[in-house]
Amino acid sequence: MKQNFKLGGSLVAALVLGTVLCGSVSAQTLTMGLRAGPDSIDPHWSTLGSQAEALRHIFDTLVMSDENLGLKPGLATSWKPIDDTTWEFKIREGVKFHDGSELTAEDVKFSIDRIPVVTGPMSMTIYTKQVAEAKVADKYTLHVKTKAPAPTLPNDFIRLFVVSKNVGMEARNEQFNSGKAAIGTGPYKFVSWEPKGDLVLERFDGYWGEKQPWQKVVRKEIPSDPARMAALKSGQVDLVNYVPATDYAAMQKDKSVDTFVADSVYFLNLTPNVKETLPRKVKVDGKEIDANPLRDPKVREAMDLAIDRKTLVRVVLEGLGRPANQLMPASFFGGNKNLPERPYDLAKAKQLLADAGYPKGFEIDFHCTNNRLPGDGAVCEALSQMWARAGLKVNANALNGTVFFPAQQKGEFSLWMSGWGTLTGEASYTYGSLVHTADPQLGLGAFNKQGYSNPEVDKLLEEGARTMDDPKRRALFEKVTEVSMNDRALIPTVQIQTVWAAKKGMLAIPPRVDQETLAYEIKPKS
Amino acid sequence: MIGFLIQRVLQALMVVIAMSIIVFLGVYAIGNPIDVMIDPASDQALREALIQRYGLDLPLYEQYFVFMSNMLHGDLGESFIYRLPVLNLIWSRFPATLELALTAMLIATCLGIPLGLWAGYKPESLSAKAIMAFSVLGFSVPSFWVGLLLIMAFAVELGWFPSGGRGPTTHVLGMNLSITSLEGWSYIILPAFNLALFKLGLLIRLTRAGTAEVMSSDYVRFARAQGLSESKVVGLHVLKNISIPIVTVFGLELGSTLAFAVVTETVFNWPGMGKLIIDSITVLDRPVMVAYLILVVFLFVMINLVVDLVYGQLDPRIRVKAAS
Repeated sequence: MKQNFKLGGSLVAALVLGTVLCGSVSAQTLTMGLRAGPDSIDPHWSTLGSQAEALRHIFDTLVMSDENLGLKPGLATSWKPIDDTTWEFKIREGVKFHDGSELTAEDVKFSIDRIPVVTGPMSMTIYTKQVAEAKVADKYTLHVKTKAPAPTLPNDFIRLFVVSKNVGMEARNEQFNSGKAAIGTGPYKFVSWEPKGDLVLERFDGYWGEKQPWQKVVRKEIPSDPARMAALKSGQVDLVNYVPATDYAAMQKDKSVDTFVADSVYFLNLTPNVKETLPRKVKVDGKEIDANPLRDPKVREAMDLAIDRKTLVRVVLEGLGRPANQLMPASFFGGNKNLPERPYDLAKAKQLLADAGYPKGFEIDFHCTNNRLPGDGAVCEALSQMWARAGLKVNANALNGTVFFPAQQKGEFSLWMSGWGTLTGEASYTYGSLVHTADPQLGLGAFNKQGYSNPEVDKLLEEGARTMDDPKRRALFEKVTEVSMNDRALIPTVQIQTVWAAKKGMLAIPPRVDQETLAYEIKPKS
Repeated sequence: MIGFLIQRVLQALMVVIAMSIIVFLGVYAIGNPIDVMIDPASDQALREALIQRYGLDLPLYEQYFVFMSNMLHGDLGESFIYRLPVLNLIWSRFPATLELALTAMLIATCLGIPLGLWAGYKPESLSAKAIMAFSVLGFSVPSFWVGLLLIMAFAVELGWFPSGGRGPTTHVLGMNLSITSLEGWSYIILPAFNLALFKLGLLIRLTRAGTAEVMSSDYVRFARAQGLSESKVVGLHVLKNISIPIVTVFGLELGSTLAFAVVTETVFNWPGMGKLIIDSITVLDRPVMVAYLILVVFLFVMINLVVDLVYGQLDPRIRVKAAS
């Protein structure tokens, strides 16, 4: 009997030890299966979201953002405007680069100056276009002169990756991709990378921030959804991002995985073309007409009222979304918390259409993407059915983004739906591009292809762009949101949610609204 | 022989030119790559500047001539996305596709020819019927679906093989290969089998048809009458006489496997050329698309050339014809 106890005891001990050992071994390496990766290890190469997401591990930014895109100190501990066109940034002291050198204001200046020299197809200069000159005031103080008052400069600097000035102005993609020039101050050091392949990182013990639990991080790029899910289920990776809605339904019943859901910054918005004539004409009783019914606010309102947003979320998106009443979360800077939820009222929609002179509705072509955001194609089809109930004949065309975006840019669509994410967390980014009158001189309305133009909105946006006082600017943008949404310049439908999945009980993933998956924010579950 | 080679090279050039025009027209019709790549925060001035920098504001024929004159200097251009020379980019993916395609061809040949011989030799047997049923499955079931099933069964449920990706590689002869290690093989086996399936079905049916036809011919009867053993009859006379169509199909299939392993590479996340071309198409990375297709044309021409040369070895009558 005693013998048995002993045997049992040692067995238990062995089991416990084994679990502990396995646990600690796996806790050293974090393997992530992610949908997209960087195009280069040069952090000044591209503005792509997946590029920033990957390179944040190696390089720090001057200003950082929390999980809701609020600004927080990064390599700059504080910032304030010292006059209308100068921002002062205090640089964090005692920060070490991976090569052991110390971070100073010179490195930050070098990074700002370097961006226009090296930038690639998705130009990073959008983050420095307001900068006239960066001046080193002292070792830890940087003065940034701007061309005009630039209240959003700290928001732009969320993407200002700081590289060591020691890499020199000549270093290009090759030097970064090989790791020679990939010297940052981030929590992880570069080990290896191949385009569209694995990015391997190693913990940097001299990191200025919190000590990291992972000795090694492997970032595997697996763009195909089924392949990524299979990699998680077969244990090849510890976590995956962008779980499709259909897999999410199954995973909730699966005992071997944990799922994590978060609101994203991405909204699916309808855009009615309100120009004099439509590129694809509307048909009434099978005959093309020259008038553009979408110019009539009643018609736009009718189309809005005919959308059952709750059903879109519950049925089409499997619950992974929220009904939207503006183009970004109301909690963002300039979002309007007083706007009501958009009602679903079919009777009123029909009435409005009749009032506008279309008692029997009309026929219109409707375009959207089918591969940019989860559920975009499905929402598109559901919408055309919802409008059918209001008496409209809507021909939905779900296109690949490769075909959709060039055609949209050329102004070939009458009515379209596409995704938009307010990645800077404030209103001028979205409303300045989408609802301001298209004005190349001012650089505003670059994505306003629908011809919407409201002098009141334009005035408010332009005033906001030069108002340094935060509360005042916030009030101006809130007004922009209210006016343009009531005008139905664009019609928001749903806010998309993102899903991550990980092996059961292993990880704690704090969900981020910008959908980024950052190893240094992921902790082993204890 | 020299005349034959020159004729082939000229043919290849014509196809390359035609191909590059078609691709240019196609991408131009879809639209401006900048519109797919551009960041929403950018303004009109930035868009114009980018379009100019990439030469996309020029008329199509000028863009085409710039590209062609660069190509004549051996420069296929730089990727819009990576700003790396396209040739280097494609070459860095080539070993992965090559070893996948060769492994698949090996599986298809080593299984397909014996199975096909058997099915043609004993057409009435139950085993032959089973082989034929399998061959029909091999080329009628879509390969992405089989791929997903293979992953579900052998990676997710049984856990025998990894579900995708390419394992550790070693540097051999200037290429990174994974077939040098056991772990590397565990990564290649599922995608290679998936890729082999179609060719396997094809080779089985081809070999069987040939065998069935040849078995009733005079020289097989004479060979038997000579007292040759059955294995000699089948292995020597039959196999040699049915080998011409097999070599043709093998050559063409090797070419198409190398060039278009797209589906398998996507399903298994295999970092080869097929995945590169799909990734490039989704962002309209024109230099990569054009260069890739031109290389594919070149590859096919080369393979056909080799196939023709092998014919000569297999059947002296063809050699005589070519010489005359």
